[in-house]
Amino acid sequence: MSRFFRQAGDSDSDSDESEELMSSGDEAPQAKPTTGAKTAMSRFLRKTGPGADSDSSSDSDSDSDEDSDSDSDVPKPKKGLPLRSDSEDSETEEEEDRQGIRIMSAQEKRLAEMEGTGKAMENALKINDWVSISNEFDKLARMIQRQHNVSEPIPPFYIKTLLSLESSLTSAIAKEKEAKKKMNATNAKALNSMKQKVRKAAKEYEQDIAKYQADPDAFERDYTALITRDAPPAPTVARAAIGTAAVTNEDENGGFKPVGKGGRTMLLTAEGIFKSLQAVQEARGKKNTDRGEQIRILEKLLELATTTYQRIRVLLALVSSRFDYNSSASSHMPTELWISAQNEVDQLVAIVASNPAFIVQEITEDYDDLLERSPATEKSGIVRIRGSIISFIDRLDDEFTRSLQNIDPHGTEYVDRLKDEKTLYSTICRAQAFYEQTKQDDPLSRVIMRRLEHIYSKPDAVVHALESSAESADIKPAITLTSSGSTSALIHSLCVYLYKSGNSLHRTRAMLSHIYHYALLNDFHTARDMLLMSHLQESIHSADVATQILYNRTVVQLGLCAFRSGLIKEAQATLQDIFTTQRVKELLAQGVHQQRYQVLTPEQEKAEKQRQLPFHMHINTELLEAAFLVSSMLVEIPLLASIDSEELKRKAISKPFRRLLDFADRQVFTGPPESTRDHIMQASKALQDGEWEKCRDLVQSIKIWSLMPEAASVKEMLAKRIQEQGLRTYLFTYAPHYNTLSLSLLAQTFSLPLRSVTSIVSKMIWNEELAASLDQAGGCIAFHRTEVTRQQQLALIIAEKVNSMAEQNEKALDAKMGTSGGWGDRADGKSGEKRGEQVQERRGRGDRTRGGSRGGGRGRGARFAQGLGNQMGHTSQRAG
Amino acid sequence: MAEYDLSKTIIPYLDRHLSFPLLAHLVETGVFPADEVQVAQYELAKGTNMFDYAASLFEQIYPNQEVPKEFEQKRVNAVSTHERLQQEAQAVLDVIENPDVAQALRQDKNQNLQYLKDNYKLTLDQITALYNFGKFQYSYGNYSGAADYLYHFRVLSTDPDLTISAHWGKLASDILTGKWDIALEELNSLREAIDSRSPAPFASVSSNTNNTPAVDPALSQLHSRTWLVHWSLFVYFNHPQGRALLLETFLSPTYLNTIQTSCPWILRYVAAAAIISSPTPTSKSTSAPQSSRVKNAVREVVKVIQMENYQYTDPVTSFLMQLHVEFDFEAAQKELQQAEKVVSDDFFLGDFHDEFLESARCLVSEAYCRIHQRIDIGDLSNRLNLPRDEGEKWIVNLIRETRMGQDAKIDLEKNLIQILRPPQPVYQSVIEKTRGLAIRTQTLGAAIARTGVAQAASTASAPQSITQPVAVN
Repeated sequence: MSRFFRQAGDSDSDSDESEELMSSGDEAPQAKPTTGAKTAMSRFLRKTGPGADSDSSSDSDSDSDEDSDSDSDVPKPKKGLPLRSDSEDSETEEEEDRQGIRIMSAQEKRLAEMEGTGKAMENALKINDWVSISNEFDKLARMIQRQHNVSEPIPPFYIKTLLSLESSLTSAIAKEKEAKKKMNATNAKALNSMKQKVRKAAKEYEQDIAKYQADPDAFERDYTALITRDAPPAPTVARAAIGTAAVTNEDENGGFKPVGKGGRTMLLTAEGIFKSLQAVQEARGKKNTDRGEQIRILEKLLELATTTYQRIRVLLALVSSRFDYNSSASSHMPTELWISAQNEVDQLVAIVASNPAFIVQEITEDYDDLLERSPATEKSGIVRIRGSIISFIDRLDDEFTRSLQNIDPHGTEYVDRLKDEKTLYSTICRAQAFYEQTKQDDPLSRVIMRRLEHIYSKPDAVVHALESSAESADIKPAITLTSSGSTSALIHSLCVYLYKSGNSLHRTRAMLSHIYHYALLNDFHTARDMLLMSHLQESIHSADVATQILYNRTVVQLGLCAFRSGLIKEAQATLQDIFTTQRVKELLAQGVHQQRYQVLTPEQEKAEKQRQLPFHMHINTELLEAAFLVSSMLVEIPLLASIDSEELKRKAISKPFRRLLDFADRQVFTGPPESTRDHIMQASKALQDGEWEKCRDLVQSIKIWSLMPEAASVKEMLAKRIQEQGLRTYLFTYAPHYNTLSLSLLAQTFSLPLRSVTSIVSKMIWNEELAASLDQAGGCIAFHRTEVTRQQQLALIIAEKVNSMAEQNEKALDAKMGTSGGWGDRADGKSGEKRGEQVQERRGRGDRTRGGSRGGGRGRGARFAQGLGNQMGHTSQRAG
Repeated sequence: MAEYDLSKTIIPYLDRHLSFPLLAHLVETGVFPADEVQVAQYELAKGTNMFDYAASLFEQIYPNQEVPKEFEQKRVNAVSTHERLQQEAQAVLDVIENPDVAQALRQDKNQNLQYLKDNYKLTLDQITALYNFGKFQYSYGNYSGAADYLYHFRVLSTDPDLTISAHWGKLASDILTGKWDIALEELNSLREAIDSRSPAPFASVSSNTNNTPAVDPALSQLHSRTWLVHWSLFVYFNHPQGRALLLETFLSPTYLNTIQTSCPWILRYVAAAAIISSPTPTSKSTSAPQSSRVKNAVREVVKVIQMENYQYTDPVTSFLMQLHVEFDFEAAQKELQQAEKVVSDDFFLGDFHDEFLESARCLVSEAYCRIHQRIDIGDLSNRLNLPRDEGEKWIVNLIRETRMGQDAKIDLEKNLIQILRPPQPVYQSVIEKTRGLAIRTQTLGAAIARTGVAQAASTASAPQSITQPVAVN
């Protein structure tokens, strides 16, 4: 075997093997969960087809010495057999592609096969078995189709068969009419379908049939001429090769090149570009097309392409075939392919942008694919080509995300891949510039949305880096970092464009991204106002899942922003809802949640996986939890201290926090804190005991704070809050034990200035949280403790209970009447309000069960959104 | 105090003519250099048809220069326009002023038009002449005339845009002529018009509006409301009942939203109004019964101020913040000192300086007394920005006239006030809790009885409708 061959073969097999590894690696986990659903099963089966193919072909390539032996041996005995499985067919085809020499044998084989099928049909015709005829004809039609794909002419045999079939059909139908009930039902059905099929086929090859009928001999002569022209060294060489295996391989070394040229490369000339392009396009999406080969052909075509029109056409085909390379949705595109696709999209945009006479549109008038076109030949002076650049950009971006989803985020590969974002971003910017230039609003807003999604969650430095690469490009969009001055101005102008564009989905997403960005910049008030004024919380549960995820991210970021700005209450209220669901990771699309009581179907699991955000976009959930728990602690602990009856204690503001606290209480032995939770729980206990210094130290020693920007100032803020809340807790807890309490002592104990102590105590007195008053002259607090006797206490309790019973009655009547507030005027508006809340709660619960049964992320997101909507509504009145 | 002056922020929301009083006030207070303000006045006047005024201003600013010629020419122009418009308008006016016609006119505008057309050959164009003449009169400063013409026009016209525009013009004229009762009526009707017709685009008589066509209706409504809020300040701070009405209006959800979104500086006026109208010992006897909104105004305003603290603060708002959110009386005292100056310098609040101070002191002492048990009189009068003797008098007055009368005692020896607040007895709270129960249960019973009857009726008429749900369940 020649060195050339071996090299080619080796490299081929290498790539094949690696692909196979990849694909099998991907398929392996897929194969496991298939047990359940049928559809997935069938898909799996289908996918193994090409896998097996490449297997055999790589085998045959790597050791072609023996293989060519066996190859040539194997097909021979099968030649005449009418029934051949698809995979075997493809095998021969692939070999033919790979080794130009076998073309002839394959052609022959196919012809023989066809003839075999024809024979079978004739036999069946004799016994009037129309079912088998129909089957055979289908097979024949398929073979002809394949003939088409390799752009070979239709053999006269087919025409002949077609004609004879037509005549026998008519006679059979005639007979059928005369002889009643001679045929059984299936047969008659097959006959009818045959009739239609033949008619269709006849119509398809009308011209050829006419030619054949006019002069059968001439037709056959044409055919043979065509074949021989396509392959000059003709069957003889092929035959020899098949016969004498290894020896001829040596000989072929010399003869290979012309064969190769004649067989395939000859097509790849500047003139034949459109023809080969068409062939490639027709093969696209077929089961057995070798996608790598297709790409290689197209790459060569691109080199050959001379005119702008040709280049655009080839580029369009090339980019889409690159995207086709991976058919399965779970695996990502190889990086090299992606990079070259990205380059080609850049080229395409550059060409189209510099030639305004060429327009790439999704919908054009029909034109002949095989003709060269130029602005001069078109009526309007503008060449419109079918294709969609925006979908390429979309796809490019999606593939990028998908590859990030699949790469291990802790390896260097991930970082390397992330570097490509820069070029991707500049491609997007370039496309934006192009669409701005041509004033296409719809793709422009899509492209701007893509751009926005790349920068909205990034810190300034990263955006600067991305922008610098975009600005170095030859064509620049109207909105750049330098033109708008700062990152937020850039994002603002991008968002404003999207607000003005008509698409409501883009508007929503732009709004959320904008809010997210403000939250990132610690501009809590602006972000909150925007969120409330957008009224998104009312409609978000009907949005698509991706938008819901974005919404959740935005809300969470808003909560973190509140926390960083020291707005503890707001932070707690904002983060509360997402933590009550206990599915933080899932709601943020940062990990798949393990369902306890239900099993996800493979489809759901796959969809969930596809939704996951790439690692670099994640919001650290541990940090999030720390922020939530600390703010819960600061809100909840003083509250816990302020209520003394067991009854009220059960009503918790923050359930997740309360649960953890109860759990920590039950622990017999508490060791030194390890996790973030441990730290916070022990801090909470310290706060309850009035040891604010210990609490502060514990909270400040949580390591995760280092991930927060401005960690030092956040810690400082926390220390101050702990001091204040510690004072409040202390007052609540120990008030019964004091008659008077010196303010200066309090100030000393909690190392707060006297003024703020006075202010805090005054606030508590004013809000009637503390039954006390200040003695200004003595500088102390005087407590007015009223001792309640047992009897009085019971009286109070019974009053309360009677009250709640009345409320229950009202509620029951409400439920019976269906509508709230339908009966009788309520004396006080308060109970009405409460009822409204309860109704809402009930509705929320209903939603929950529904969401649970559906199991999709959608239901969950909806519930969360709804809950949060209420929450935000309560937090602040401004919803206008 | 220049940093707290709101004239600059408010003027963009006012009509050219409405800004003159503001500028005149600025000259008086001397917050800004007088000549600069005069230049501003001149610039304003140039855009109107008040040439004499503009010319006199010019002479004041540039005493040595000659008055530009263009004024003369414009003046001639204006006079001729005036005559032309007057003639046009007079024709209509003659008809309308005819007592027969006045009697024949009805509520229905279309019918009126038809009537006028049939009997007096008045067309819509002629009626529009009224509007034009009114507008012209307004532009050269004849406000009462403008108000008359615009009133007549509004009665007759059917064009919604021009009607609204006439509304604004009439309001401005009434404000400038100082007829506060009429202005208040006008204001209310304009408010109704704005609230009711949201979808129509907004057009104002004013020259400063940005007349962008086809704006979002919600946005234009917000614009109109913002303008209305600013214009109404004139009325509310001049009308005797104004402050209560201001609170009533501005604390209603729609206008509160307007203030929060587009003009948070109005919070100063809301806060001031809330403080002024809070009950004081001196005003208590005279004040009319107030609605709950006004009574709780301070609390509500504090809430809003707290919410908008990030957007807008000035001494008046931060006084309330310090007093009712932070309870830092020292800081509140300082803010009050500043707020006092701000209030006295403010165009709208200037007249209410004393009342403001009185009420603010009241608020401070109320909060102080509620929190404290023993108060040093000297300290309290210090907090109130009063000298000691006066403070004592003031406090005695306060104790005598307010509800904490019986709880507070003055200990002259130690110079202390003792406040004894006996805790609420338990039986009282039990009574509180169970008070409404009987009535509630009664209504409940009545409701059940009613539904029972209704159900019986429905079963009699359509028995199927009852059986159906059972089958479903």
